[in-house]
Amino acid sequence: MAEHTNGTANANGAATLTHTRSGDKTASGTPPCNLKDAWAMRNATTQAMLLAEAHMQAEIASASLEELIALVETFSPTRSTGPEWTRSFEPLVERLWLRCSDETMVALEADFTARGMPWMAVANAFSPERGAQLRERVRPTAWGRLPRFTIA
Amino acid sequence: MPSGAVTIERFKDEITAAQYREAADTFCRLITQEGEPLRNTVRTAVSAAAPFVQVPSHMMQKPDGEMRGVNYDHTVLGWRGALRLSPFLPKEKALLPTLQAMWYAPQGLNIWEQIICEFPGHYARSENCNLRYPGDDPEVDRFDGPAWVPPKIHFEDHAPIYAPSVDEGIARLLNAIAEGDRAESYGLFLGLAENPDNRERLKEAILFAGIVDLQDSLINRGGYQNIGHKALRARALVDIADYFGWDNAHEIIYTVVPDLGCSPRLYGLWTEISNTVKIELAGLGKIPKRSDKPLTELELDRLTYTILWGGPIEVNEVISGLLRRGAGLLDVTDGTAVAYQRFLVDVLEHPSAFNHPMHSFDYLNVVNHWIRTYDNPHQVKTVYMTARFINDTFRANAMFPRDPKVELEPYSAYRPYADDIALDRLLPVLQEAILKQDTSRAGALADSYLERTSERQELLETVTYAACHFQNDPHIMRNCASSIEEYTANQTSRRDDIVRGFVKHQSRYIKRTTVHEAASMYAQHFMKT
Repeated sequence: MAEHTNGTANANGAATLTHTRSGDKTASGTPPCNLKDAWAMRNATTQAMLLAEAHMQAEIASASLEELIALVETFSPTRSTGPEWTRSFEPLVERLWLRCSDETMVALEADFTARGMPWMAVANAFSPERGAQLRERVRPTAWGRLPRFTIA
Repeated sequence: MPSGAVTIERFKDEITAAQYREAADTFCRLITQEGEPLRNTVRTAVSAAAPFVQVPSHMMQKPDGEMRGVNYDHTVLGWRGALRLSPFLPKEKALLPTLQAMWYAPQGLNIWEQIICEFPGHYARSENCNLRYPGDDPEVDRFDGPAWVPPKIHFEDHAPIYAPSVDEGIARLLNAIAEGDRAESYGLFLGLAENPDNRERLKEAILFAGIVDLQDSLINRGGYQNIGHKALRARALVDIADYFGWDNAHEIIYTVVPDLGCSPRLYGLWTEISNTVKIELAGLGKIPKRSDKPLTELELDRLTYTILWGGPIEVNEVISGLLRRGAGLLDVTDGTAVAYQRFLVDVLEHPSAFNHPMHSFDYLNVVNHWIRTYDNPHQVKTVYMTARFINDTFRANAMFPRDPKVELEPYSAYRPYADDIALDRLLPVLQEAILKQDTSRAGALADSYLERTSERQELLETVTYAACHFQNDPHIMRNCASSIEEYTANQTSRRDDIVRGFVKHQSRYIKRTTVHEAASMYAQHFMKT
């Protein structure tokens, strides 16, 4: 592994460089981080994500049609905060198909189809054929704690 | 023996009357029956169109007060692409791209008037003018031509302007383009071009002027952008003037140079990158065009990931890092070229979504040609601009949710089928798949071919020839020329990805028509047995 170089600031605010051992991210003033710590961080992050996922799914399941429509509308190019937000549309669609009733999905498709061509890609994501594909693709396995969601 | 059945005068009249079928047929007959040299015939066509390809502005105020973009002349892009492709193709197929350029040229005059439904052609058809202003016969689209009025001239030809020195002339030329003084820039260019000693510097300068004029972002900008068209036009001028000979280049100069100063002129990205380079590369000294430290596989991965999924500042950061550690300009742009292909091959699906990314790759080709051919201390900035433009087109596409209705089957579904085809029979099958726009099959066939042989020339010929069956679209010839040129020059281990992207593009990009009238006309005139 290559030698790492960390930048720190001296009393005058000028950057100084602290060369560290191969594989050791320790730099003056920062706590050590080794493989065990990295694995602990991975586990904590996974736990946080599982909780966020469960929270999101509960929110979807209890949301009204109007609330769901308002959420989907944020994926319009004029409302999206950027490509990173819009790219998360497909993971959202997966969760909608898994957590919402068929009646809700029919209503979503009808609402966005009625808006015409600019919303056609969104409406198509709510078509029954797409729903059948997604429900098959992300169905939870017997050993899985959660569906094989795409995350972004 | 000339028959006299068709004449140059008739040819010019057909072009200016937007009679594209007739003009294309006359073009063929002038060459095959009247013995007109190809170069003269192309020059006649360019000259006939030259007064009618300028627009007052590339922004038009609509009746409701909003602004819309006005398209750039594409006739010259078709000619330039075709002229680059002809020497690449076998003799029997060599002129198909040129005939496609000819087929399009009469459809691309008076773009401003086409948009407001006052002149026929490609843009008038796209605007559905016939629905708004139908003729007497509802079965006939009168916006398919012929024209019912003569085309307008928005920028009259001018006399040359002579500068005291070439240095002063080029400085004034660049300033006039940036300020939008079209008469001054055009006159100065004509004056400078008269002296053969000035021409190499002039070519370098006009490419520079085109390259630096580029929008900072396409996201939610509507028509306030140029998607690299200033650079693309400058490259067309250079190549076509070289083909005609600069003493015969007046009309191609008239076609291109005034438009470089046309509004809007966009220097936001150029300004940002100029600042970035000052800060990030301070004290670095002269950066070589190529180094002995090309990008490693890991660096190619990182550059690819950042261009595909990162934001603009992350792209800047990766490029600064590569240059600071000693990579050359073309080492990085070669990496950018192969990074682009991963988006094309792995991400793009909707046929309509190829347009902006395609323009960014064609822009990269202009920049790379400029870096490869000329010297200019500003070239390092265009390494950033190229990657940023490509990244921005990907981000602009990502502002729209993906449409599951146009999802592509994975290539892997057709890989056993492709691998079963004998190598010496594969290329005709690939040609057929491209003609049918069967993307997944074409992709599997190309992958199979690339892995089974090191032969590339016939593969590239096959893709080009198939692509040039599709008419009414000069982007096709331009993109074929860009893809072949970049494949040939690319020095990364991944340059075959450019072939993969080329196949995906030409088998998926939206077609303006699937009718092959022009290709049939070509076969009739040039492929007689």
